[in-house]
Amino acid sequence: MSSHALTLVVYLMFGLAGLTLEIRARSPRSRIPSLGTAVGRVMRTRSGRVGVIAGWVWLGLHFFAR
Amino acid sequence: MDEPPGVAEADMSGGTPLGGSDDGSPSFPSDPGLSEVETDRRIRVGPAAIRVARDPVVTILLLAGIFDGLSGNPVHAVLLIGVAVALAADAVVRFGGDGAEASLGGPFVKAGKLRTAVLLAIAAIYAVLIGRLPRYSWPMTVAVIVPGTVVLALAWLGRIGRRPETTKLDPGGVLAWLAVFVGLALWELTNLLLQPSFTTDSYAHPTLSVLSDPFLASPVGRAIGLFLWLALGWLLVDR
Repeated sequence: MSSHALTLVVYLMFGLAGLTLEIRARSPRSRIPSLGTAVGRVMRTRSGRVGVIAGWVWLGLHFFAR
Repeated sequence: MDEPPGVAEADMSGGTPLGGSDDGSPSFPSDPGLSEVETDRRIRVGPAAIRVARDPVVTILLLAGIFDGLSGNPVHAVLLIGVAVALAADAVVRFGGDGAEASLGGPFVKAGKLRTAVLLAIAAIYAVLIGRLPRYSWPMTVAVIVPGTVVLALAWLGRIGRRPETTKLDPGGVLAWLAVFVGLALWELTNLLLQPSFTTDSYAHPTLSVLSDPFLASPVGRAIGLFLWLALGWLLVDR
Protein backbone atom coordinates (compact mmCIF):
# COMPACT_ATOMS: atom_id res chain seq x y z
CA MET A 1 0.00 0.00 0.00
CA SER A 2 1.38 3.40 -0.97
CA SER A 3 1.84 6.24 1.51
CA HIS A 4 -0.91 8.16 -0.27
CA ALA A 5 -3.37 5.28 0.07
CA LEU A 6 -2.42 4.68 3.70
CA THR A 7 -3.00 8.35 4.48
CA LEU A 8 -6.45 8.20 2.91
CA VAL A 9 -7.35 5.00 4.75
CA VAL A 10 -6.48 6.54 8.11
CA TYR A 11 -8.55 9.63 7.33
CA LEU A 12 -11.45 7.35 6.38
CA MET A 13 -11.06 5.37 9.61
CA PHE A 14 -11.40 8.55 11.66
CA GLY A 15 -14.47 9.49 9.62
CA LEU A 16 -16.01 6.07 10.17
CA ALA A 17 -15.20 6.19 13.88
CA GLY A 18 -17.03 9.49 14.17
CA LEU A 19 -19.97 8.19 12.19
CA THR A 20 -20.15 5.06 14.35
CA LEU A 21 -20.10 7.11 17.54
CA GLU A 22 -22.89 9.36 16.26
CA ILE A 23 -25.05 6.38 15.26
CA ARG A 24 -24.47 4.69 18.62
CA ALA A 25 -25.22 7.96 20.43
CA ARG A 26 -28.68 8.04 18.83
CA SER A 27 -29.59 4.73 20.39
CA PRO A 28 -32.01 5.39 23.29
CA ARG A 29 -29.99 3.47 25.87
CA SER A 30 -26.60 4.78 24.77
CA ARG A 31 -24.44 6.64 27.29
CA ILE A 32 -22.43 8.21 24.48
CA PRO A 33 -23.49 11.82 23.88
CA SER A 34 -24.21 12.86 20.33
CA LEU A 35 -21.72 15.25 18.79
CA GLY A 36 -24.34 17.99 18.96
CA THR A 37 -24.90 17.41 22.67
CA ALA A 38 -21.18 17.41 23.39
CA VAL A 39 -20.60 20.58 21.37
CA GLY A 40 -23.61 22.20 23.03
CA ARG A 41 -22.12 21.45 26.42
CA VAL A 42 -18.75 22.87 25.41
CA MET A 43 -20.48 26.02 24.18
CA ARG A 44 -22.06 26.78 27.54
CA THR A 45 -18.97 28.73 28.56
CA ARG A 46 -17.62 31.82 26.81
CA SER A 47 -14.25 30.18 26.34
CA GLY A 48 -15.77 27.05 24.79
CA ARG A 49 -18.25 28.95 22.65
CA VAL A 50 -15.68 31.38 21.28
CA GLY A 51 -13.18 28.56 20.79
CA VAL A 52 -15.64 26.46 18.78
CA ILE A 53 -16.71 29.40 16.63
CA ALA A 54 -13.06 30.42 16.10
CA GLY A 55 -12.47 26.88 14.86
CA TRP A 56 -15.34 27.26 12.42
CA VAL A 57 -13.99 30.60 11.13
CA TRP A 58 -10.56 29.02 10.79
CA LEU A 59 -12.06 26.21 8.68
CA GLY A 60 -13.43 28.78 6.26
CA LEU A 61 -10.12 30.60 6.11
CA HIS A 62 -8.15 27.37 5.76
CA PHE A 63 -10.09 26.02 2.81
CA PHE A 64 -10.95 29.23 0.96
CA ALA A 65 -9.04 32.30 2.09
CA ARG A 66 -5.45 33.50 2.20
CA MET B 1 -26.02 41.47 40.15
CA ASP B 2 -24.02 38.28 40.22
CA GLU B 3 -20.50 38.45 41.47
CA PRO B 4 -17.64 37.43 39.14
CA PRO B 5 -16.34 33.96 39.97
CA GLY B 6 -12.90 35.22 40.88
CA VAL B 7 -14.41 37.27 43.69
CA ALA B 8 -16.43 34.37 44.96
CA GLU B 9 -13.41 32.12 45.01
CA ALA B 10 -11.40 34.66 46.92
CA ASP B 11 -14.13 35.28 49.42
CA MET B 12 -14.60 31.57 50.05
CA SER B 13 -10.92 30.99 50.52
CA GLY B 14 -10.93 31.40 54.24
CA GLY B 15 -11.91 33.54 57.12
CA THR B 16 -9.81 36.44 55.91
CA PRO B 17 -9.72 37.92 52.45
CA LEU B 18 -6.08 36.95 52.05
CA GLY B 19 -6.33 33.24 52.72
CA GLY B 20 -5.40 30.40 50.34
CA SER B 21 -7.93 28.65 48.14
CA ASP B 22 -9.05 25.06 48.04
CA ASP B 23 -8.16 24.58 44.38
CA GLY B 24 -4.47 25.09 44.96
CA SER B 25 -4.44 28.71 43.89
CA PRO B 26 -1.61 30.66 45.45
CA SER B 27 -2.45 32.83 48.42
CA PHE B 28 -1.17 36.34 48.76
CA PRO B 29 0.42 37.59 51.94
CA SER B 30 -1.18 40.48 53.69
CA ASP B 31 0.52 43.77 52.86
CA PRO B 32 -0.52 46.71 54.97
CA GLY B 33 0.92 49.04 52.29
CA LEU B 34 -1.71 48.00 49.73
CA SER B 35 -5.07 49.67 49.47
CA GLU B 36 -8.19 47.55 49.77
CA VAL B 37 -8.78 47.77 46.01
CA GLU B 38 -5.22 46.71 45.19
CA THR B 39 -5.39 43.82 47.62
CA ASP B 40 -8.71 42.70 46.18
CA ARG B 41 -7.26 42.87 42.66
CA ARG B 42 -4.27 40.75 43.65
CA ILE B 43 -6.57 38.17 45.17
CA ARG B 44 -8.66 37.91 42.02
CA VAL B 45 -5.90 38.06 39.36
CA GLY B 46 -4.04 35.07 40.78
CA PRO B 47 -6.87 32.51 40.44
CA ALA B 48 -7.84 34.03 37.09
CA ALA B 49 -4.32 33.57 35.72
CA ILE B 50 -4.34 29.94 36.85
CA ARG B 51 -7.72 29.48 35.22
CA VAL B 52 -6.25 30.73 31.93
CA ALA B 53 -3.32 28.34 32.20
CA ARG B 54 -5.76 25.48 32.76
CA ASP B 55 -8.07 26.47 29.91
CA PRO B 56 -7.41 24.05 27.04
CA VAL B 57 -9.15 26.36 24.56
CA VAL B 58 -6.53 29.08 24.99
CA THR B 59 -3.69 26.56 24.68
CA ILE B 60 -5.17 24.89 21.59
CA LEU B 61 -5.80 28.20 19.84
CA LEU B 62 -2.29 29.43 20.63
CA LEU B 63 -0.62 26.26 19.35
CA ALA B 64 -2.79 26.16 16.23
CA GLY B 65 -2.04 29.84 15.59
CA ILE B 66 1.71 29.31 15.94
CA PHE B 67 1.70 26.34 13.53
CA ASP B 68 -0.50 28.20 11.05
CA GLY B 69 1.83 31.18 11.21
CA LEU B 70 4.81 28.90 10.54
CA SER B 71 2.90 27.48 7.57
CA GLY B 72 2.79 30.91 5.98
CA ASN B 73 -0.78 31.81 6.89
CA PRO B 74 -0.53 35.09 8.79
CA VAL B 75 -4.27 35.86 8.59
CA HIS B 76 -5.13 32.52 10.19
CA ALA B 77 -2.46 33.00 12.84
CA VAL B 78 -3.74 36.47 13.70
CA LEU B 79 -7.28 35.09 14.12
CA LEU B 80 -6.31 32.15 16.32
CA ILE B 81 -3.72 33.91 18.45
CA GLY B 82 -5.90 37.02 18.69
CA VAL B 83 -8.86 35.02 20.02
CA ALA B 84 -6.61 33.15 22.45
CA VAL B 85 -5.15 36.40 23.80
CA ALA B 86 -8.62 37.95 24.05
CA LEU B 87 -9.92 34.97 26.04
CA ALA B 88 -6.91 35.05 28.33
CA ALA B 89 -7.21 38.80 28.85
CA ASP B 90 -10.92 38.44 29.51
CA ALA B 91 -10.31 35.89 32.23
CA VAL B 92 -7.48 37.81 33.87
CA VAL B 93 -8.46 41.44 33.49
CA ARG B 94 -12.22 41.26 33.60
CA PHE B 95 -12.25 38.17 35.82
CA GLY B 96 -14.64 37.00 33.10
CA GLY B 97 -15.65 33.42 32.49
CA ASP B 98 -19.23 32.44 32.91
CA GLY B 99 -19.99 34.96 35.57
CA ALA B 100 -19.33 37.82 33.18
CA GLU B 101 -22.21 36.60 31.04
CA ALA B 102 -24.79 36.73 33.78
CA SER B 103 -25.88 40.21 32.82
CA LEU B 104 -26.05 39.52 29.09
CA GLY B 105 -29.29 39.06 27.22
CA GLY B 106 -30.65 35.84 25.82
CA PRO B 107 -29.63 34.28 22.54
CA PHE B 108 -29.82 36.74 19.66
CA VAL B 109 -30.15 34.02 17.05
CA LYS B 110 -33.15 31.75 17.51
CA ALA B 111 -34.00 28.90 15.21
CA GLY B 112 -37.38 28.68 13.57
CA LYS B 113 -38.53 26.92 10.42
CA LEU B 114 -39.13 30.11 8.47
CA ARG B 115 -35.97 31.81 9.72
CA THR B 116 -33.92 28.71 8.99
CA ALA B 117 -35.33 28.50 5.45
CA VAL B 118 -34.57 32.19 4.80
CA LEU B 119 -31.05 31.87 6.17
CA LEU B 120 -30.40 28.75 4.08
CA ALA B 121 -31.57 30.61 0.97
CA ILE B 122 -29.28 33.54 1.78
CA ALA B 123 -26.42 31.11 2.42
CA ALA B 124 -27.03 29.43 -0.95
CA ILE B 125 -27.00 32.77 -2.80
CA TYR B 126 -23.90 33.85 -0.88
CA ALA B 127 -22.16 30.56 -1.70
CA VAL B 128 -22.94 30.78 -5.42
CA LEU B 129 -21.81 34.41 -5.67
CA ILE B 130 -18.68 34.09 -3.53
CA GLY B 131 -17.83 30.72 -5.04
CA ARG B 132 -17.06 32.52 -8.28
CA LEU B 133 -14.19 34.37 -6.59
CA PRO B 134 -10.72 32.84 -6.89
CA ARG B 135 -9.64 30.70 -3.98
CA TYR B 136 -7.02 32.25 -1.66
CA SER B 137 -7.72 35.72 -3.09
CA TRP B 138 -8.22 38.80 -0.91
CA PRO B 139 -11.88 39.25 -1.96
CA MET B 140 -12.55 35.64 -0.95
CA THR B 141 -10.68 36.24 2.30
CA VAL B 142 -12.85 39.25 3.11
CA ALA B 143 -15.99 37.30 2.19
CA VAL B 144 -15.08 34.63 4.74
CA ILE B 145 -13.80 36.96 7.45
CA VAL B 146 -16.89 39.20 7.51
CA PRO B 147 -19.52 36.56 8.42
CA GLY B 148 -16.97 34.79 10.59
CA THR B 149 -16.25 37.91 12.60
CA VAL B 150 -19.95 38.67 13.05
CA VAL B 151 -20.65 35.18 14.43
CA LEU B 152 -17.50 35.34 16.57
CA ALA B 153 -18.67 38.64 18.07
CA LEU B 154 -22.13 37.18 18.78
CA ALA B 155 -20.46 34.18 20.41
CA TRP B 156 -18.33 36.44 22.57
CA LEU B 157 -21.39 38.38 23.69
CA GLY B 158 -23.27 35.18 24.46
CA ARG B 159 -25.93 35.94 21.89
CA ILE B 160 -25.91 32.53 20.22
CA GLY B 161 -26.81 29.05 21.37
CA ARG B 162 -29.78 27.49 23.11
CA ARG B 163 -28.04 27.18 26.47
CA PRO B 164 -29.49 23.80 27.36
CA GLU B 165 -29.84 22.70 30.95
CA THR B 166 -26.71 21.29 32.46
CA THR B 167 -26.63 17.54 32.01
CA LYS B 168 -23.89 15.24 33.13
CA LEU B 169 -22.19 13.73 30.11
CA ASP B 170 -20.76 10.23 30.30
CA PRO B 171 -16.96 10.63 30.63
CA GLY B 172 -16.37 7.57 28.48
CA GLY B 173 -18.49 8.97 25.67
CA VAL B 174 -16.77 12.34 25.85
CA LEU B 175 -13.41 10.59 25.83
CA ALA B 176 -14.42 8.65 22.72
CA TRP B 177 -15.26 11.87 20.86
CA LEU B 178 -12.06 13.50 22.07
CA ALA B 179 -10.07 10.51 20.83
CA VAL B 180 -11.56 10.85 17.34
CA PHE B 181 -10.92 14.58 17.02
CA VAL B 182 -7.52 14.62 18.71
CA GLY B 183 -6.47 11.60 16.63
CA LEU B 184 -7.62 13.28 13.44
CA ALA B 185 -5.78 16.48 14.37
CA LEU B 186 -2.60 14.54 15.13
CA TRP B 187 -2.84 12.65 11.84
CA GLU B 188 -3.32 15.94 9.99
CA LEU B 189 -0.32 17.38 11.85
CA THR B 190 1.74 14.27 11.02
CA ASN B 191 1.03 14.71 7.33
CA LEU B 192 1.81 18.41 7.55
CA LEU B 193 5.18 17.61 9.13
CA LEU B 194 5.89 14.93 6.50
CA GLN B 195 5.53 17.47 3.69
CA PRO B 196 8.81 18.68 2.12
CA SER B 197 8.09 21.97 3.89
CA PHE B 198 5.15 23.65 5.63
CA THR B 199 4.35 25.50 2.41
CA THR B 200 4.94 22.66 -0.08
CA ASP B 201 2.18 20.09 -0.63
CA SER B 202 2.89 16.38 -0.68
CA TYR B 203 1.09 13.76 -2.76
CA ALA B 204 2.38 10.95 -0.56
CA HIS B 205 1.29 12.64 2.67
CA PRO B 206 -1.66 14.87 1.81
CA THR B 207 -3.37 17.03 4.41
CA LEU B 208 -7.16 17.44 4.25
CA SER B 209 -6.81 20.78 2.51
CA VAL B 210 -4.56 19.23 -0.15
CA LEU B 211 -7.13 16.47 -0.66
CA SER B 212 -9.85 19.09 -1.08
CA ASP B 213 -7.93 21.03 -3.74
CA PRO B 214 -9.39 19.24 -6.80
CA PHE B 215 -12.95 19.64 -5.48
CA LEU B 216 -12.56 23.30 -4.55
CA ALA B 217 -10.78 24.21 -7.78
CA SER B 218 -14.06 24.85 -9.61
CA PRO B 219 -16.65 27.55 -8.81
CA VAL B 220 -19.29 24.84 -8.31
CA GLY B 221 -17.07 23.00 -5.85
CA ARG B 222 -16.31 26.22 -3.98
CA ALA B 223 -20.02 27.11 -3.87
CA ILE B 224 -20.86 23.70 -2.37
CA GLY B 225 -17.96 23.98 0.06
CA LEU B 226 -18.95 27.48 1.16
CA PHE B 227 -22.58 26.41 1.63
CA LEU B 228 -21.48 23.46 3.77
CA TRP B 229 -19.24 25.78 5.81
CA LEU B 230 -22.11 28.20 6.41
CA ALA B 231 -24.46 25.32 7.26
CA LEU B 232 -21.97 24.05 9.81
CA GLY B 233 -21.83 27.54 11.25
CA TRP B 234 -25.60 27.62 11.57
CA LEU B 235 -25.60 24.21 13.31
CA LEU B 236 -23.06 25.56 15.81
CA VAL B 237 -24.97 28.79 16.35
CA ASP B 238 -28.08 26.74 17.06
CA ARG B 239 -26.36 24.58 19.72
